[in-house]
Amino acid sequence: MGLREYLLKRLVHSVFVMLFVVTVVFAAVRSIPGDPARLMLGGDVDTATLEALRAELGLNQPLYIQYFRWLRRLLTGDLGESIRTGEPVLGSIVQVAGPTLSIAALGMVIALVIAIPTGIISAVKRYEIEDYLSTTIAFFGISMPAFWIGIVLVLVIGVNVESIPTFGYTPIDEGISPWFRSILLPSFAVGFPYGGILMRMMRSSMLEVLNEDYMRTARAKGLSSNLVLFKHGLQNALIPVVTLAGIFLAVVLGGVVAVEIVFGIRGLGRLLIGSINRRDFPLIQGTVLLIAFVFVLANIVVDLLYTMINPRIKYGGGD
Amino acid sequence: MSSRFDTEGGRIFGVRTDLVEQFVNTVRRDLKAKIGVVIVTLFLLAAIFAPELAPYDPMAQDFAPLQAPALSSETPLGTDSFGRDLLSRLMYGARISLGVGLGAVLFGAITGVLLGLVAGFYGGWVDDLLMRSVDVMWAFPWLLIAIMLVSIFGQGVWNVIIAVGFAYIDDFARITRGEVLSIREEEYMLAAESVGLGDLEIIFEEVFPNTVAPIIVQFTVLVARAMLAEATLSFLGLGVKPSTPTWGSLLGQGRDFITQAWWISILPGVLIMITVLGINLFGDALRDAFDVREVDSE
Repeated sequence: MGLREYLLKRLVHSVFVMLFVVTVVFAAVRSIPGDPARLMLGGDVDTATLEALRAELGLNQPLYIQYFRWLRRLLTGDLGESIRTGEPVLGSIVQVAGPTLSIAALGMVIALVIAIPTGIISAVKRYEIEDYLSTTIAFFGISMPAFWIGIVLVLVIGVNVESIPTFGYTPIDEGISPWFRSILLPSFAVGFPYGGILMRMMRSSMLEVLNEDYMRTARAKGLSSNLVLFKHGLQNALIPVVTLAGIFLAVVLGGVVAVEIVFGIRGLGRLLIGSINRRDFPLIQGTVLLIAFVFVLANIVVDLLYTMINPRIKYGGGD
Repeated sequence: MSSRFDTEGGRIFGVRTDLVEQFVNTVRRDLKAKIGVVIVTLFLLAAIFAPELAPYDPMAQDFAPLQAPALSSETPLGTDSFGRDLLSRLMYGARISLGVGLGAVLFGAITGVLLGLVAGFYGGWVDDLLMRSVDVMWAFPWLLIAIMLVSIFGQGVWNVIIAVGFAYIDDFARITRGEVLSIREEEYMLAAESVGLGDLEIIFEEVFPNTVAPIIVQFTVLVARAMLAEATLSFLGLGVKPSTPTWGSLLGQGRDFITQAWWISILPGVLIMITVLGINLFGDALRDAFDVREVDSE
């Protein structure tokens, strides 16, 4: 299978993932007990108003027609309007996406910066003090909920370091430095557990590569061992880590939701929890769909990276 | 490796006794494994016997609110904002946290193992259909789906268990199928078929017991992850009913008093960390004992 064909296959797969998400979300929201129209209007309303709204929402149509109409609207980027504010869902989401994406991105960077070097050192110095130290830290990382790390950081750093805020978010157009400082702690809270996961993967992947025949050969040929490590080993060891880094983006996104609450940041997490408390279903489904969409996109990017790191990869096949 | 496929030797409830033996040997040699076993056992006991061991009723508002922990006082771990004993609440909280963690993974394991057994055993279009559906589930932001499911279907132990456990079906399906495919070719399978055993008999008596080792390992690792997911849901106020004490909800309620009473948020977090750490160590020990590889990306 060629590269093109492989990527096409992955793209089709992503479309199916998205379709599955859309269907699950549709089914879930439609199985809410009670009538969405009545829920939207709330309290006592006359039947005429209720019927009018039902017609407007298309609720009097058969379910499959509602489903396809909804799909068609989604394809044009129309996620509907918030029940409470009447504003377009897409607009409300875009407004608050900044902090969430900033935290997720910096969180991933922090995780990779921690995980890759420590993973390599751990593998190279297996069963030595460096290995025990980094695997222990990684173990703690994967055993703590991100939001709790956030609370501890607020207590420890917030009290002692004045220049790092523990509440709220500063947009990037108010200056890089204030922006960076406002997302530093939440990003660390999100990135640390994720770094633990990646470090363990990096370590085992590197160990496996170190035991490969070609690595031994390269060493035997007299190449200096550091050069061997970086040229031959790292490239191969990174492959599984990069693949799974995309999958574990879900961990990061899930973590951000709760971490935003801890740091009082108005992001997607706050929006989602708020819309759940107000039972604003168009907003709930819009937020979930959009995050899922970003997630699927990220996986495609990871796929591309994967083929770039390893140009000799065999696509598909081998089941 | 070939010893894993042996059907010789005794079994307890379908699990080969040599696995138990291997595990005991690992625990004997490895300090990490010992720590894991001790932590897991202690917390399980504390959770199971909470009604007998807890000093007070976790709901009774008997004490002065927001008392700091003092080991010599009536309330050694302090009290919450309603004057309830934190130690008792944490012990009862362990029941929900561990119970939901175990329940969620059990739900995922039963569903996933059945799917994997059927897919691997029958192959062909059944395999294609089942595994393609499972593939789709792989790339999925599950916590968000869990949040949405709980918000729609309401809070409660069973809803949280299913919402969290749904995410683990694909892991078990993939592992089980892989194992089934690799042992299908073994000679004893041919033997079983030639003696005229039925499909179900072959699946449950011959195939399943040999897929057990990697499944147990995965089970343990996922219980740790499920407990973190439950904690997150409870923290967001979307777990089991808000009045029920769980580690996540205690932590969330404590957040409002973080500057006056840090212990309400910090102690449940410490317990979550220790338990999850213990389970992860336990899982690592099992992995070593059963010689299961860490990451299976395909």
